[in-house]
Amino acid sequence: MEQELKQLRDQCLADLNEVEELKTLDNVRIKYLGKKGALTIALKGMGKLSNEERPIIGKLANEIREEIEKNIIQQKQALEKKAMEAQISQEVIDVSLPGKTHRVGNLHPLNTTINELKEIFLGMGFTIEEGPEIEWTKYNFDYLNVPKEHSARDLQDTFYYKDDIVLRTQTSPVQVRVMQDRKPPLRMISPGRVYRTDEVDATHSPVFHQMEGLVIDKGITMADLKGTLDLFAKKLFGEQTKTKFRPHQFYFTEPSAEMDVTCYKCGGVGCKVCSNTGWIEVLGCGMVHPNVLKDCGIDPDVYSGFAFGMGLDRITIIKYGITDLRLLFENDLRFLSQFK
Amino acid sequence: MLVSLNWLKEYVDINIAPYDFGEILTMSGTKVETLTVVSENVANILTGKIKKIEQHPNADKLVVCTVDMGSDERVIVTAAKNVFEGAIVPVAVDGAVTANGMNIGTNDFRGILSYGMFCSIEELGMDTNLFSKEIMEGIYILPEDTPLGMDVKELLWLDDVIIDVELTANRSDCQSIIGIAKESAAALDLPIRDFEIYSTEEKNNDIADYLSVKVNSDACERYVAKVLKVKRVEPSPLWMQIKLLNSGVRPINNIVDVTNYVMLELGQPLHAFDYNSLKSKEIVVRTTDDKKMITLDDKEREINASMLMITNGSVPVAIAGVMGGVNSEITDQTSLVVLESACFYKNSVRLTSKQLGLRTEASARFEKGVDPELAGVAALRATYLLEKIGACEVVGGLIDVYPQPVKTTKLTLDTNWFNAFIGISLSEAEVAGFLKRLSFTVKSIGDGILEIEVPSYRQDIEVREDLAEEVARMFGYDNIPGTIMGGETMTGGKTPIQKYEDALKNVLVGQGYFETLTSSFTSEKRLSALNTSLSEELVRLVNPLGEENSIMRNTLIGHQLEVISLNYNRKNPSGHFFEIANTYFASAAPEELPVEEKKLVISTYGNDDYFELKGMVEILLTYSGIDNASFVAGGSDILHPGRKATIYLEDVKLGEIGEVHPAVVKNYDLPKRCYVCELSFKALYECCVTDKKFVDLPRFPASNRDLAILLKSEIPAASVENTIRINGGDILESIELFDVYTGEQIPDGYKSLAYALNFRHFERTLNDDDINPVIEKILEELKSSFDAQLRE
Ligand SMILES: [Zn+2]
Repeated sequence: MEQELKQLRDQCLADLNEVEELKTLDNVRIKYLGKKGALTIALKGMGKLSNEERPIIGKLANEIREEIEKNIIQQKQALEKKAMEAQISQEVIDVSLPGKTHRVGNLHPLNTTINELKEIFLGMGFTIEEGPEIEWTKYNFDYLNVPKEHSARDLQDTFYYKDDIVLRTQTSPVQVRVMQDRKPPLRMISPGRVYRTDEVDATHSPVFHQMEGLVIDKGITMADLKGTLDLFAKKLFGEQTKTKFRPHQFYFTEPSAEMDVTCYKCGGVGCKVCSNTGWIEVLGCGMVHPNVLKDCGIDPDVYSGFAFGMGLDRITIIKYGITDLRLLFENDLRFLSQFK
Repeated sequence: MLVSLNWLKEYVDINIAPYDFGEILTMSGTKVETLTVVSENVANILTGKIKKIEQHPNADKLVVCTVDMGSDERVIVTAAKNVFEGAIVPVAVDGAVTANGMNIGTNDFRGILSYGMFCSIEELGMDTNLFSKEIMEGIYILPEDTPLGMDVKELLWLDDVIIDVELTANRSDCQSIIGIAKESAAALDLPIRDFEIYSTEEKNNDIADYLSVKVNSDACERYVAKVLKVKRVEPSPLWMQIKLLNSGVRPINNIVDVTNYVMLELGQPLHAFDYNSLKSKEIVVRTTDDKKMITLDDKEREINASMLMITNGSVPVAIAGVMGGVNSEITDQTSLVVLESACFYKNSVRLTSKQLGLRTEASARFEKGVDPELAGVAALRATYLLEKIGACEVVGGLIDVYPQPVKTTKLTLDTNWFNAFIGISLSEAEVAGFLKRLSFTVKSIGDGILEIEVPSYRQDIEVREDLAEEVARMFGYDNIPGTIMGGETMTGGKTPIQKYEDALKNVLVGQGYFETLTSSFTSEKRLSALNTSLSEELVRLVNPLGEENSIMRNTLIGHQLEVISLNYNRKNPSGHFFEIANTYFASAAPEELPVEEKKLVISTYGNDDYFELKGMVEILLTYSGIDNASFVAGGSDILHPGRKATIYLEDVKLGEIGEVHPAVVKNYDLPKRCYVCELSFKALYECCVTDKKFVDLPRFPASNRDLAILLKSEIPAASVENTIRINGGDILESIELFDVYTGEQIPDGYKSLAYALNFRHFERTLNDDDINPVIEKILEELKSSFDAQLRE
């Protein structure tokens, strides 16, 4: 009996070794371990054995069953592995073929610039304010301390809708509205569309964009203006950027300045972009004129503040090295899609 | 404005390199645009006197000149026609370089050696536009008293540096050499030299025999006149001509040149009348009813009663502050001159100059505002010069009509306030020192408070902040530290609507749409091309740049179609665009501003169809939390009558979508099929649901039923879906239209819509007894409403 079992085992293991496909593996199991399998049948002859032999043979039979089952599992795993490898080897693809295309659009470069500027000032606790583009002359000029007879008010410079309504020539009216509506402290920027009667050319457009900023609080100094705008310039044009403040004149501010930044292209050595000066003019700024504060109901003996304004179209052109302002308004896809 | 550095140096000892000087000027508030040497290349061109001219033996067109160079004589062969014996001319001797960089050597002209050449103004590098044609084309003949052997670079100031400065609108006082000299002296902390004037202590008042002046207008703040007897009208001395030339002004004759010289030097426009041509013993400053006059430039000008005139009592002889009349022009025959040094109100001159379309050196200065105090000094300076250069003899006495002399502005400046305002800490003495440099009179009244008297020419100084700027710019903006703002911390940030706008844009960009940027202007023609009648509420500009830009747009669609047209015509095969911008509508109430409504426009062309664009809109609606908007057939005439829809959320109209009408396609030169959708951004924002709430995941399975329904083609799918939804009750979780079919097995004029319905109960599993009655109800309702049949 013992001999018979061992033979059965050897034969089964030999059969297993020959199995090459998963689906035939089960046949081997049935052949030996199934209800009518060889081992099962062999064990049925156990009854004939003596009482001494029975436990010994029973133990052996169990060991053989376990061994066979173990071998079946091993063989199964080996075959599965082989099958997977075979599958994998057949599924090689050319990973260098192009991907399936999905359309991707992008924002207009001007608005990308505006977003960048907004983020810088939002980080400093500013709010973004908007106001009408078609505006009362009193907001566009009077409250901004522009002299009554100033040529900026002429039909040659400003679009009129009615005698006292114009297309705003700057976004500063928004500042006036905010100052009149709210109490200081104020920190705000107002990006937006503005209009002047300039004929279209490579650097001019009757429709263009500006962003003005305003800070009003107790104890705001001209040094704060310099510190804030210097930080702004470094964030926009890079950490190495230096700024230069030149005295200038605006009706809205006193003292007033223009801010230049070191040329982003040459770093200040001088190149075509900066007309060999090493500097690029970026914005106008100054301490808010006391007349403006008073007209907006803010006491200049208690509060002070600074304001600044910059041309967004110009900054966009500088930033991307765009050669002609008209490209911004043309919307040729070959232009638009360059700013992903 | 052009400023001669050499001229400036006559007033201030500027001993630093021109570039460094330019930087200092810029940083102290006078912006230097460019620094240019008059004639950089010129070298070794000397003055010489032609002693003898002989015909060249071998050439008809050449002459041989013997030239006295002071230390030696040399032979020069020339073809020039305007040379004569005794003429003093610039001679480019052996080794000289002319303005264009040409090296001059010894040349053999048909057997005679020429040791150099004579120079024209062009070869000297002077501005040819400032000379008459005769002078420009010949050899430049120098005055008789010019020393010989002198380097012309020095003589003609060819090494002078011309500084182009950009002046700010408030600094009218800087429109002169003396103005810039004052700024330079202050910036460099140097003294400034005085200039000489004609003594006011005169023995007689003979002027009264010649002239009286009446001012009948507030627009003339001061009128000073001086009468001079002309000795001779001739070219002005070389030194004067050169200063004019280096300031960009053309020399004319000694009398006119002096008026220009003083204007450039002091900033006071002057005018000289020919006394005899006035034909009157009086000058009256007033407006007139005359319609026409001929100005000095020989042009007939249309004048009117709003313009201030200088008259001889009956007819205008000059347009005040702008230009003189040809009827009183200085000529070679002039024997008596009336010199006018007046101050006209800036806005009067500005408006006159604008109406005439005539801007002159004088009007440009008056427009910015001239100090009335200057008129007297300038008249005396001009008188001094006219006498000094031998042009005139002075008639005693001065007429000065000056009804309201300017008052000195007095201000106080608190040093402590100043320091707190700027963010620095200067002592009272330092602040006072900076102000004194700028010629302010400063007196300390204790506690750091300064009493300040403003010079009359500084009309721009009105408040303490103006003084703060003066001190700050003298201290140097660069020396002010940069600090971080103190005060309350502020959170700032975007408002919900600003965030929503950004988010919508990002969704569109993510779906492959490009943001455009278009102008706000349109026109009747452009709007009519949209196939719509013109709205009553158009915002029309008074002064547009042409008809095509005369109206503020009330729709974004037109511009979007222009973008498509441009791209299509440039052979870009397809395009997806969007823009969020304002549209403008006149307000019914006259006391209100026009209404500005922000809209979102989306458009496509290329391989897409209506449903591509609708799909995009649906994504935006989904993003906005709007799940029950309806697309109702119909909309404006811009769109294809059979392919357009108005989008509603209940009663609120969100916008319109559709294929562009074939007529508009033609008008705008568009591809055959393009699609556009315009939504009201405001309506969208007001309808959007931004706060998302979590709903528990279902624990019981759903049951799916498919329904294929046969019905007439014209019935909108949306109505069918709506009926299913209403009758589906609470257990109908979702509906999906998965097939629209016409063709085989479907009768003509009919279509088949196949829906997948999803039923689910939140608390238990549904069985047929739950679902079948609902299905029956739906079918019944579809039959009664649309005569729809279930397709078996
Ligand atoms: Zn550069």
